[in-house]
This record gives sequence, structure tokens and C-alpha cells, in this order.
Amino acid sequence: MTISLNYIFKRIILALCVIVGIVVFSYVLILATPGDPAVKWAGNPRGPGATRAVQLAREELGLDKPIYVQVAIFMYNFFTGNLGFSIAYKGLPVVQAIITSFMSTFELTLIAYIISVPIALYLGLYSALKRGGIFDSIIQPASVVLASTPTYWLATLLLLAFTISKISVYGTASPRLIAETEFNTITGSYLLDSILQGNVRVFVDSLLRMIPPALAISVYPIGALTRLVRVLVAESLLEDYVKASIALGVERGIIIRHFVVRSIIPSLVQISGLSFTYSLIDAMVVESIFGRRGLGSLLISALNTADFKIAITLIAFIAIFYIIVNTLVDILQAIIDPRVRL
Amino acid sequence: MIRRSFIILRRSLRKIRFKIGIVISLVAIFLAILAPYIVPRPQEGLGYVPRDVEARRLLPPSIEHIFGTDSLGRDLFSRVIMGTRTALLQVFIVITISFLLGLLLGAIAAYLRGLVEVLLNYFTEIFMAMPTIVIALVLRLTLGHGIHVTISSLIMTWWAWYARIAYVYARGVVELDYVILARLAGLHSLKILHRHIVPNIIQPLIAQAITDLGSVLLEAAAINFLGLGVQPGYPEWGVILYESVFYGGGVEVFTQAPWLIVFPGVFLLLVTLGFSLIGDCLREEIDPRLRRRWRLWF
Amino acid sequence: MVLAIVMENLKVGYIIEDEVFWAVKGVDLVVEEGTTLCIIGESGCGKSTLASAITGILPPYALTDGKLKLFDHVVINGQLRNYNGIRGKITAYIPQNPGTSLNPFLTVEEHFYYVLRSNFKSDREFSKKIAMEILPKVNLDSSVLEKYPHELSGGMQQRVIIALALATNAQILVADEPTSFIDAHLRLQIIELLGRLQREFKKTLIVITHDLLTTSTICDYIAIMYAGKIMEVGPREKVLRNPRHPYTKMLLETTPILGVKKRLKPIPGEPPSLGKEYQACLFLDRCPYKSKECYSDPQIQVIENSHFSKCWKALEAPWL
Repeated sequence: MTISLNYIFKRIILALCVIVGIVVFSYVLILATPGDPAVKWAGNPRGPGATRAVQLAREELGLDKPIYVQVAIFMYNFFTGNLGFSIAYKGLPVVQAIITSFMSTFELTLIAYIISVPIALYLGLYSALKRGGIFDSIIQPASVVLASTPTYWLATLLLLAFTISKISVYGTASPRLIAETEFNTITGSYLLDSILQGNVRVFVDSLLRMIPPALAISVYPIGALTRLVRVLVAESLLEDYVKASIALGVERGIIIRHFVVRSIIPSLVQISGLSFTYSLIDAMVVESIFGRRGLGSLLISALNTADFKIAITLIAFIAIFYIIVNTLVDILQAIIDPRVRL
Repeated sequence: MIRRSFIILRRSLRKIRFKIGIVISLVAIFLAILAPYIVPRPQEGLGYVPRDVEARRLLPPSIEHIFGTDSLGRDLFSRVIMGTRTALLQVFIVITISFLLGLLLGAIAAYLRGLVEVLLNYFTEIFMAMPTIVIALVLRLTLGHGIHVTISSLIMTWWAWYARIAYVYARGVVELDYVILARLAGLHSLKILHRHIVPNIIQPLIAQAITDLGSVLLEAAAINFLGLGVQPGYPEWGVILYESVFYGGGVEVFTQAPWLIVFPGVFLLLVTLGFSLIGDCLREEIDPRLRRRWRLWF
Repeated sequence: MVLAIVMENLKVGYIIEDEVFWAVKGVDLVVEEGTTLCIIGESGCGKSTLASAITGILPPYALTDGKLKLFDHVVINGQLRNYNGIRGKITAYIPQNPGTSLNPFLTVEEHFYYVLRSNFKSDREFSKKIAMEILPKVNLDSSVLEKYPHELSGGMQQRVIIALALATNAQILVADEPTSFIDAHLRLQIIELLGRLQREFKKTLIVITHDLLTTSTICDYIAIMYAGKIMEVGPREKVLRNPRHPYTKMLLETTPILGVKKRLKPIPGEPPSLGKEYQACLFLDRCPYKSKECYSDPQIQVIENSHFSKCWKALEAPWL
């Protein structure tokens, strides 16, 4: 395949521009909301160290300087990861707190998508192939119900069910097991860490504990993606090349696999990428229900300690993640579609 | 256009799914309007704690308390029914403002072109990426509790989606011959926007808005569920769930009193479902390819 | 004489919004093995539907009536349709738009592989061998095998499709407007290619077209279709020189013939709409020769051996 990197290059430049815009917006949010920005940035400190903390924040943000210099300082600090220390996680640098929490949420969402995308593909495909049939008339309303189910409510019900049946799914991994095997997390992703440390027991334990929250998260993508696949397959079945290959006697299985499914994959990848970040937000809520470490618990502790720094950085971080995922998905889509000349 | 909308509506009405959606939505609107007059304890519904708290704490559903009571002895039925009002209010305000803002900015970006187009698209891109919940956290930290936090954080992210859709459709319309001609003939820009562009892009946008009603409801409840929006005690389903999960004593309480979780959640699910069913059927009617029966014929 | 296609009062319709629209309203047609038949008609007359019925690509919301026999397989019998062992084995289809009729995600070689694997259970190597044998016959070299459809020109795509249809070894080839999406200067080339391949492989070729001029050069028989019915059918020379239906006559008058100076006359009026049922002759509204008897459905008139017309006045033919 001939790849001129023009498209990829353009897409990345565009993404970078948006990322810069996101960081600027985060800073504007500090200025625009009521209250002294330095006090907010220091996290409404009280007690003896308060004046010093506010003074430090004032210097960090350069509040006496013109606005564009302030933005430049903030941006420099943001991209060098020099954002000071979080109040919510005492002593931990903000960036580290966010990254370790993010890894944990990310792995949970990823598991949810590993569950949901194949299911959605299968359900959507067969309800589209037999549109109007019994299977379809069950799947179609069911997918609407799934996509309308409040994830956090389902998570609560699941937790309730497991608590009643005395199966412990609370938390990221069993504290006793962690103590026994002297497991400590570096990246924040328990699965990754336990593999790296060769700790099978923690791996299995954390994987099992991940299933109920992952199920709760996967309900929305299953519903939404099933409906998407159904539409895409219905459109694909009307393509001339599907009709032509049917007339040439190509087997049904080949048509479904290599003609229909193959043609919907680029769109499916793109929409899955879009909804992944949406599910990341879902995962934050579900995590806080299941008492897991992650962005959700970070959010709650930032709320309880009025940690503005975490909040602002989190906005920029998730928004940038969204942009990166979308850019990657667009590039990937272009690569897997032979029609797009890169 | 009005006639076409009418046809779409009439065709949709043949479907049982659409009827269910309409019935649910009408019941929800009915409950929202009449809530204070039909619930047994409107005061408790608004969050006031009754005097005999100890005696009425966590009572299971009975004839007196249809949905049981919460950990502060309030009648859950009153709270949930009163919550319908908040739910619809949030959704209505968020969708209306985002819709109008998005429609206007999207149409302007497509019409004016040049720098305005680039800048508006750039802002749209940025705001589409914003995580609603974290925006809500920032607003909650600076503005305190309240329904305005929920609403404004939702608007901040949702308008961008409408602006994007409006822009994409408007771009197509702007390039139509008669719009170019109207421009060349010196028709006033506002008139062109009003007469030619908006009527042409409003239908898909309305369909999208109806489809989004459910999602906005869920997101609003999620913000309140995390304690980022309205204060505890407020008649809102998300916050009722929040109280029972985080506030009322954690896992022990809600294993003893599952009705605290079941009822607000069921209401949330039903109303979301009602909105989604309507949006789903409308979209299916607008896109006729999905209407036909199909079976494996090859 | 073996009959490749036999249609007995074949009707094909579509269910749209709970209403039935009959596109083909009762066609009786017999095609001999090894001959070429052109079905000519204006757009919307049901000729593409007829092609779909023969090749087995009627959509699931289609409705059928009457009978269609391909060799000794009864394919359509009333409402029942059974295309098992027909598609790709007895019939092959050459679609009208080559640009959208090849899977954009597959290379030409993969197209051959999937077609041959489905019909002959052949493996990749064998299918490549077959493809290499067939491609020169359609004036393509084997370098196209690794290419994706979008890398080929329209004419090349059409020839790949013809090669695929040949590779199936099907006896009946149905080409649905094979030239309408191709640049004008390539049309004759594709038509002549089809004619040559038909003679070389002794195929039964059905060409659906609205283009009387180019297509008629290769066919043995011509069928004129109008509003879902066959108006006239017969050997090419007979139909062109001695049209026995006013519609054929008027159709010929709309077509320029090289070297012959004549006035081109448009046919006034519109064809009848598909939804309605007609008791009268379908061409009644536009016919300048109509009389009282035309208000009843015309019987098939035999002009001479294998030349038929569906007009009350076919024998006297006042237009000649």
C-alpha cells in the first residue's frame, strides 16, 4: 500500500492544536470561575501553612503577569508534568496520581469493551440479517433497554446481589492477598503489574473482581453498538457488490464474513473509539460504587478535599485522551480502508 | 416540512414501541406537573425530615409508604415522584439551550465561512472533548451545590454536538444553488439563515435532540449521583441513589433496604427508555432503509 | 434444441409500505441455449427486475407469481423461489455499475478465490491458475490480480466482473445494462467482448439495455419490453426491419442510425405507473393507432416463426 503520510500528519497537527486549546481552556476555567484563582489552585488551604501555599500557587500561575504569559507558564507546567502535589492524595504529585488512577480505570473500560464489542457485533449482525424476524424483534427493543439502563444503578444492583450472596467483589484486589504476596502497584493497572511481577494470584483475583463492574459498564456499549451494527449491516447488504457476489454464487458465510462484516469494521472501530471515552466516564462512576481505585475515587477525593488542581488537570487529561483516541481511530480507519489513499 | 413531520409522526404511531414511549413520556410529564398534589407527603418529598425519624427509618414498602422510607424516615414514594419534576426540568433546559446554541453557531459557522468557521469549529472540537462529570466537579467546587451546576456542566458539553451536526448539515445547504443565488441577489444574511438554512437543517437536529433526551437524563442523574450537582435531600433520582449508596451507611444499609435502590433506578430507567423509544422510532422513519423486512435470502 | 430459460406468465413485484408494485406483469419468454437475447426498454419498465429474477437476486421484499424454469430447474413457481444450485452454477450476473459492484476491501485475486471456492471448492492456488487463464480472454493481464478495485479504471473493472462471471462456468450470463456506467468510447468494446465470449464459450447471453444502437449488434433475438410486459420478440433482423408493434416502431424512430439520414421522433407521453392494474393495452395512452379493440388486453400474435407481437394490429401493421 502506498502511504504518503500527508493525511496522518495533518490529522496529528489538528489534534495538537486542539490539545493546546484544551489546556488553555482549563486555565481559563481557573480564571473564569468565581474566587481567587491562587486560593483555588492551592485547594482552599486552611491552617498555618495557608498563606505560604497560596503564595506558592500565585507564583506557579504567575498571576501578576499578563494573561498570555500566565497561560504560557501553565501550559509549560502542564506539558512538563510539573503541576505540584495533590491534596487529595497527600504527597503524591498530581500527574502521578492521575496517571495511576487512569490506568486502573482504563483497564476496567478496556475489559468492558473486550466483552461488549464482539457481543454487539454478533447481535447486531444477526438482527440485521433477519430483520423483522423473532430474533430481531427481541434484540431491537432489548438494545434500546440496554442503552437506556443507568450504568451506576445496574452497578449498585450487581454489588447488592454479590453482597447478598456473600461473594466479595468490593475493591480492586483482596487486601489480604496483597499483603500476603507483598504486591505493590507501580502503573496503577493491577493486571499489568501482577503480570510484570509474575503474581498469578493477584492477577486472577483482580480479574475476577473486575468482571461485575466491567459487566455494568459494558451494558451501554452493547446496546448502542448493537444498534449501530444493525444499521451498518442493513446498509451494507444493499451494496451492489454484495448483490453481485450473491449472484455469482458466493457462499453465505463468505459473504457475511468477508463482504458484510469486513465493510462495517472501519465505522465500527470509529464509533467504538468515540464511545470508549464516554464509557470511561461511566467507569469512573461505577468504580466509586465498587470501591475501586481509579479516576472515580480520585474525583470523589478531589471533591472532598476541594482539590481544584486535580479537577482542572483531570479535565485536560481526559479531553486530551479523547482527542488522542479519536485521532488514532481516524488514522486506523484510514489504514484499514484500502480506498482511502493515505 | 411540517407535512413531512406529520407523516413521520403518523407512521411512527403505528408502532407499539413508539406508543409505549409516548405513554411513558406523557405519564412522566403528568407526574411532573401534578407531583405535589398526588404524593402523600410533599414536604418529605422536598427533603424535609419528619419529626419521628427513629420510628420511620428504613421502613419496607407498605400501604402507608408504597416505596418504603429512607434512612432519614422520608417517604420514598413522595421523593421519587417529586423527582420526576426535577428530571424533566433538567433535561428540558439542557436540551433546549444546547439545541438553540448549537443550531445558531453551527449555521453561522457554515454560512459565514472564513475565520469564523475555523474558530467556531475549533471551539466545537474542544468542547466535544470535555468530560461532563469533571466539568461538574470544577463548577461544584466553585459554585457550590445546586441544580445549576448539573445543568450548566451538561450544557457546556452538549451544545458542541448540536453545533457539529448543524454545521455538517448547513454546509450542505449553503452550497445549494438557490442559497448561493439568494446571497448573490443581496438577500439579507439573517433572512437567508432564517428562511433557507435553519428550516433545512432543523429536522435531523430535532430527531437528534429527541434521541438525546434519554442520554441527558442519565448523565444528569450521574452527576447528581456522584454528589456533584444538587444537595442531598433534593428530589432527584440520582441524588436519592447517592444517598443510599454513599451517604446512608454504605453496603450494609442498602442490602437491608434494597427498595432505596430499586425504585429511583426503575423510574430513571423507564423514563430514559420512553425517550429512547420515541427517538428510535422517529429515526427509523426518517431513514427508510431500516423499515423493510429482511431475511437471509442468499 | 435445449431451452435455457422458460418463463410462463412470470410476474415480479415489490412490497413497499404494505403495497404491492408489480414491476414485471406477466412475461412469457423462451430462450434457446447458446443464443443471445437483448431485452430493450426504457427505464422503469421492469427489465432489471427480470434480470434479478433470472439471476436470483430478488430482494426479500419481492413477490413473485407464474413460473420460471432455467434448464430443468424450476426456479420460480408461484410464490416459491428456489435458487439452490442456480446462482454461480447455472446463471452468472454482470451488474450495471462496475465501480460499486466489486468489493472495495478485496483484491481481484481474492474475488476470484471466493467465487471459485464457493462454486468449486477450489483452493487459492487453483483459483489463481484459473484467473490467469481467464483474464487474457477479457484482455487483461495477470498484474490486475494484486490490485484493489479502486485502482482499476471503469472499463477494467467491468472486464474483471465479466471474467468473474466466466470463471463460474455458468451457462447463462445475464448482463444488466453492461455499458451504462462506462465511457462512451468503451461501450462498443465491452459489447463486442461479450459477443465474442458468448460465441467462444457457447453461453446463453441475456443483455438488458435501453441502448438499441450498440447492443443490438451482438444479439440473435430482441425482446422489446414496456411497462412490465414484453411487447414484441423476434430475431434481430426481423424486429429491426419489420417491427410489428407500434412501440418498437417508435423506439426505432428515436434511434439514430449511422449513414441513414432521418428525422428522430420522440415518443409522446409517459409510461403507465407501476402501481395500477390495467385491463387495456398498456401502450394505449401513447399509441397513435389505437382503436376500439385496444381497450382489451391484446393476445399474442404470431407474425411468423419465432416472431411474436402483443398488439391487435400486428398482422396488418399500419405503421409500416
